[in-house]
Amino acid sequence: MFKDIKQTIEKLKKENYISSAEIATTVYLALKMEKPILVEGPAGVGKTELGKCVSAALNLELIRLQCYEGLDEAKALYEWEYAKQLLYTQILKDKLSVILKKEKTLLAATKKLSKSEDVFFSEKFLIARPILKSISSPKKSVLLIDEIDKSDSEFEAFLLEVLSDFQVTIPEIGTIKAKKKPLVILTSNNAREMSDALKRRCLHLYINYPTQDLEKQIVALKVPEANPKLIEKIVKAVHKIRGYELKKEPSISETLDWTKSLLILGYKSLDHPEIYKTLNLILKYEKDIELIKKNSHEIFHDQ
Amino acid sequence: MINNRLYQFIDILRDANVNISTNEILLLFESLPFTTITNKIIFRQTLQTTLIKDFTDIPIFQKCFDDFFLDSKIKKENSSELKSSIKEPFHFLKQEEELEEIIKKFLNGRDENLIFEKNSEKFLKIFLEEIEPSSHEAGGVGFMLLQLKKSWINNYIKNKKSEEDSNLEENHDYIFNSWLKDQLKRKIALKQVGSQIKKREDYLLNKFIYQLTPEEIKEMKLLVNRFAQKIKNRISLRKKRVKHGSLDIKETLRKSLQYSGVPFKLVYKNKKIDRPEIVVLCDISGSVNQYTRFMLLLTHTLQDLFAKVRTFAFISNMVEITNLFIEMNPERAINSIFTDTNFTYGWGSNYGRSLNQFIENHSDSLNKRTTVLILGDARNNHQDPGLNSFLKIKDRSKNIFWLNPDKKHLWGWSDSLAKLYENYTTEMKEVNSFLDLSDFIDKLFA
Repeated sequence: MFKDIKQTIEKLKKENYISSAEIATTVYLALKMEKPILVEGPAGVGKTELGKCVSAALNLELIRLQCYEGLDEAKALYEWEYAKQLLYTQILKDKLSVILKKEKTLLAATKKLSKSEDVFFSEKFLIARPILKSISSPKKSVLLIDEIDKSDSEFEAFLLEVLSDFQVTIPEIGTIKAKKKPLVILTSNNAREMSDALKRRCLHLYINYPTQDLEKQIVALKVPEANPKLIEKIVKAVHKIRGYELKKEPSISETLDWTKSLLILGYKSLDHPEIYKTLNLILKYEKDIELIKKNSHEIFHDQ
Repeated sequence: MINNRLYQFIDILRDANVNISTNEILLLFESLPFTTITNKIIFRQTLQTTLIKDFTDIPIFQKCFDDFFLDSKIKKENSSELKSSIKEPFHFLKQEEELEEIIKKFLNGRDENLIFEKNSEKFLKIFLEEIEPSSHEAGGVGFMLLQLKKSWINNYIKNKKSEEDSNLEENHDYIFNSWLKDQLKRKIALKQVGSQIKKREDYLLNKFIYQLTPEEIKEMKLLVNRFAQKIKNRISLRKKRVKHGSLDIKETLRKSLQYSGVPFKLVYKNKKIDRPEIVVLCDISGSVNQYTRFMLLLTHTLQDLFAKVRTFAFISNMVEITNLFIEMNPERAINSIFTDTNFTYGWGSNYGRSLNQFIENHSDSLNKRTTVLILGDARNNHQDPGLNSFLKIKDRSKNIFWLNPDKKHLWGWSDSLAKLYENYTTEMKEVNSFLDLSDFIDKLFA
């Protein structure tokens, strides 16, 4: 457990995650209040990374559920092992007929069989999917539900029980309550709006592109061989580039890639005449590159 | 005290049109034991993370926060000052709460907006005048104010005595009234923090688009984004569809043949989600191009809600501009329409020529699922209407809607062909403000 917000920042930093005070506040509160966090923000600002680093910093098991269209209860919560059930009935056919031999009518046989049907709906035939796994785990865990916006809206309904009461109800068995409430982190890229019911149960965290200062720290940490002056110039340029009307703005991961590639090429500063040839590392659209080229003087030389 | 301040703050957010439910308020109070009010960033984030669940509301939240907790007089972001603005020791705390109660009773049944638009001087006058008649009845608002005045003056004398000799009796009335005025002034200021944001938004969204000044258009950029996001959210929630159907018995039995009749694989009847395909035809001549701008911004922000969007623009030549939006940010794409392509042939809009060109070159964009949106004033400069082509468009599409920025009584007047085209559209609609445009889009999905 983190002691306070300051320690949250420090411990996350040890895991190579530079967190702003805002992020740390929400993480700290979520742990204290035992509430899930819904993380939103543009792609590539480290939403998934946050979940990973929190679990590493607290030394907790990370259970990850990647969402996609068509993800359902069976893949996320639990599933009856249908094939195994069938297989067992096939194998046990002889045994079954021995037991049922004495019964004369169909009704009596059915009655007898139904007495032992619990066998087939026990935990032996239950496959625990990520959510059930994190709920039933004896130790506290971090449950990372990634890109929840990609799932269908019905899927959210399954989640509600988990998020508010930390329990899963299986009709055939009963309710399984969490022994240790997991820290649940949901991430979303905003392809779809989450329902109010889900939002109400969560703390909301919006991670935007970092400030120049923070981004400099991140680059320095991840690319330690780069010299601070170059980093400063790169970060400054990236922030300027984000200010233009782009189809896709460069994210942190693109800043890192760019820094690394400039090192490999041996460029000491951004004044290099061939600098525009590296723009495709941070910009993914031809027209965006064109626009930045046109304004390259302001971005690269006017520093 | 802090609770009171927080409730006031929540009221302000609600005035500014931010949705906050009881659940969020509970969450906030639950979080208070773990947070601190001495650090601005942490305190702000605590409020934001618990109260604000829609990221498009964040800029509004931050503005309200600054206005409310960091008075503009306090320029420095000093933590202790923030603390004092929250925890200020008031001698008149009890009286202040009583006054709050009186104001609430006073406002009961009156139009709040009308009163809060006045300045404090006028507010005070209305307040005192209207309360006067009931002043002698026990339990009335006037009586309460009288009681409040007595206890306030007592309190005042008590606090003053230690420092200097008690004032003359006559002065008390004046001092009490100026305290009252200060309180009302604060009340108005608080009320305006939130409601002014909302008022400005409503003003911009409802203003006739052709009357918007260039500054206002710039200001609207953010607003349009926020608004479009909200529409998107609303529509995508409404579009909830059952995608997983029930068990498909026929198909399951067929599959089971592989396993000698044992149904190892279950098959379900899954449903497809149908999203509308749309084709947008925009007149971009001078008379309507502001409308076009907002229309294009809107349709392209909402792009993922449609299966396909194809966009064409014309003055007297019909040109497909879909690609501009694929390659560029919508704002930049719209700006480059005019520089990159040639729309004019001869002089002014020519609907007939453009429609003919559309049928000739782009009729592959139409099918029975397509909804065609036309934006234009149908002022054809007395040229051929191209009715044949228009009918073909109608025949080959599902719906055809026409948005007309002209006033309805001008349709068909002078060189306007609106009346003629209207006969063949599913609907022709007058649009004036951004709100009209977005309402229309909203209805497309209903």
